[in-house]
Amino acid sequence: MIQDKAQWLEEASKKIKVPKELIEKAFKDELDGNPSIDAPLEIPDIMDITYKYTYGGISRFFREIRDNKQLYGTKCTKCGKVWLPPRINCNECYTPTQWVKLGSTAGIVTYTIVYYGTSVFFGKTPYVCAFVKVAGADTLIMQNIFMEDVKKARIGMKLTIQFKEHRNGDMGDFWFVPAQEEL
Amino acid sequence: MNKVGIVGVGTTSFKARWLEKTYYELAYDAAKLALEDAGIDKKEVGGVVYGIYNEFFERQFMPDVYIHNYIGMGLKPSVRVATGGATGGAAVFVGWTWIASGLYDIVMVLGVEKATDNYNYTVGHPTPETLKAILFSGDMTFENPMGLTAAASYALPLIAHINKYGTPTEKQMAMVSIKNHKNAMNNPIAQSPKLLTVDDVLNSKMITYPFKFYDNCLYSEGASAIILASEKAAKALSDNPAWITGVGLSLDKAFAGERDDITVFTSSLYAGRDAYKMSGIKNPRKELDFAELHDAFTGAEILSYEAFNFCKPGDGGKLIEDGVVEMTGDLPVSPSGGLIGCGHAVGATGVMQTGEAALQVQGRAEKRQVKNARVGLVQSIGGPATAWTAAMIVERQDKIKGKVVKGSRAKAKAKVKAKAARRKR
Repeated sequence: MIQDKAQWLEEASKKIKVPKELIEKAFKDELDGNPSIDAPLEIPDIMDITYKYTYGGISRFFREIRDNKQLYGTKCTKCGKVWLPPRINCNECYTPTQWVKLGSTAGIVTYTIVYYGTSVFFGKTPYVCAFVKVAGADTLIMQNIFMEDVKKARIGMKLTIQFKEHRNGDMGDFWFVPAQEEL
Repeated sequence: MNKVGIVGVGTTSFKARWLEKTYYELAYDAAKLALEDAGIDKKEVGGVVYGIYNEFFERQFMPDVYIHNYIGMGLKPSVRVATGGATGGAAVFVGWTWIASGLYDIVMVLGVEKATDNYNYTVGHPTPETLKAILFSGDMTFENPMGLTAAASYALPLIAHINKYGTPTEKQMAMVSIKNHKNAMNNPIAQSPKLLTVDDVLNSKMITYPFKFYDNCLYSEGASAIILASEKAAKALSDNPAWITGVGLSLDKAFAGERDDITVFTSSLYAGRDAYKMSGIKNPRKELDFAELHDAFTGAEILSYEAFNFCKPGDGGKLIEDGVVEMTGDLPVSPSGGLIGCGHAVGATGVMQTGEAALQVQGRAEKRQVKNARVGLVQSIGGPATAWTAAMIVERQDKIKGKVVKGSRAKAKAKVKAKAARRKR
């Protein structure tokens, strides 16, 4: 039996970064019931790690978005294929690529509507998750399409780029919305 | 290459939660069942291949090392395979190479997963946290932040396919759900045995368009082990071993936006082609007696019919409509109930399916036995947008010797002759 429930909840909350009330609800049986000595015993736990992650060779991609509101791809110096997401080496030619400016429009190549997402997306469902082709790129990039009525999403829909006001240098800095003519 | 037999099968129940067992306790149960089934002692095992997918599920990196210790295999060769949803199948593939190469005579392949120790305190349920754990497998820079989910990963190629061919329809997908939940009623280890109607499926909650609740497989916890043996060992241990006569493994571009054609499960196409070639299968629709496919989502099963050449691209939906893939049809798919009916204990799933195929060709599948099952296909899919596929062909002992006939005698004789000729080459 847990000796001091308040103390146990305090420590559990600190450990897994979850409010005490929610932990209390999840562990009601262990806290208030009288489980036998052989009953399965569950514990609150968490796996957590922080990073100072480097974007390496594609750093410029995120700086251009963050500092200049400009989308860039990379073009193979041999075959000319334009990569987005960018890569500093072409995996077909094994040759370096160079940075090229891309357009601000795109089209949906395939999509789905997510009604049930991970805990990170609580409050954001339903959302459209799509592969889009950005003007000037030869490959597709995964995007969320922000739109009032997600059911209006369709293959071939024309899109236009929008940038976040305060940009952090990650994929959340920009997104696509249906182009004016689609509305 | 040496012949590879299956001489032991052991699978725990697939359940939503195994509260009373840890992952290594479940692994022990499956190992014990498989060893008993093979009639061997653990001392006779040359090495173990582990199939365990997700570190965040198990709350443990390198979980295989603790299992190896727990099941008393210390100092024997061991390696862990982790290829997303295809983990179980890829573990069988690796185990197969250990025998085929002549390195070992007896190898255990052991898959285990415990997905629902994850828990989201806000909703009081594991799923959002389990999804989050899976999503660390999406590219962390470009795809994870876009809210890609396992279901979305399958829906993206599927919707492109529907746009191109008009199929599969939502009704055809519902029929796959009904079939697999129903097949599971004959499987004592299954998590979701159920009788459903088309309306039940169509009216269930939308999860990820076009998948409704009943179009999805469920997270399971469980373990499954098989004992692989060289020809010499297999014949010494069993009068009726199953044989893995063909294997294939393919990993497509994980950034699916780089693929030439997103409407095709190309890794299944390639893995299937290699497995068919190795076992000499030219017309899978006629030569296969059953298949255990990776029905993580109903539409995925239908696209897999096409990738494995059961029919032309775009015609997969017709196979379920015409009843071909039902238990009563001539190519039953997932007699076990598959991932939708039996469950998806990720690392264990492909091992369970291979074990099921062995039970089928050995005539030991009890209530879910396919009549005269001689040749079966196993598919294990994993990774972003079905990037990975492991495929195995499992055959019956007397099919190999050419004793069992299906259809006309002349046809069977020709098949046997062709097989013998192939073996000479």
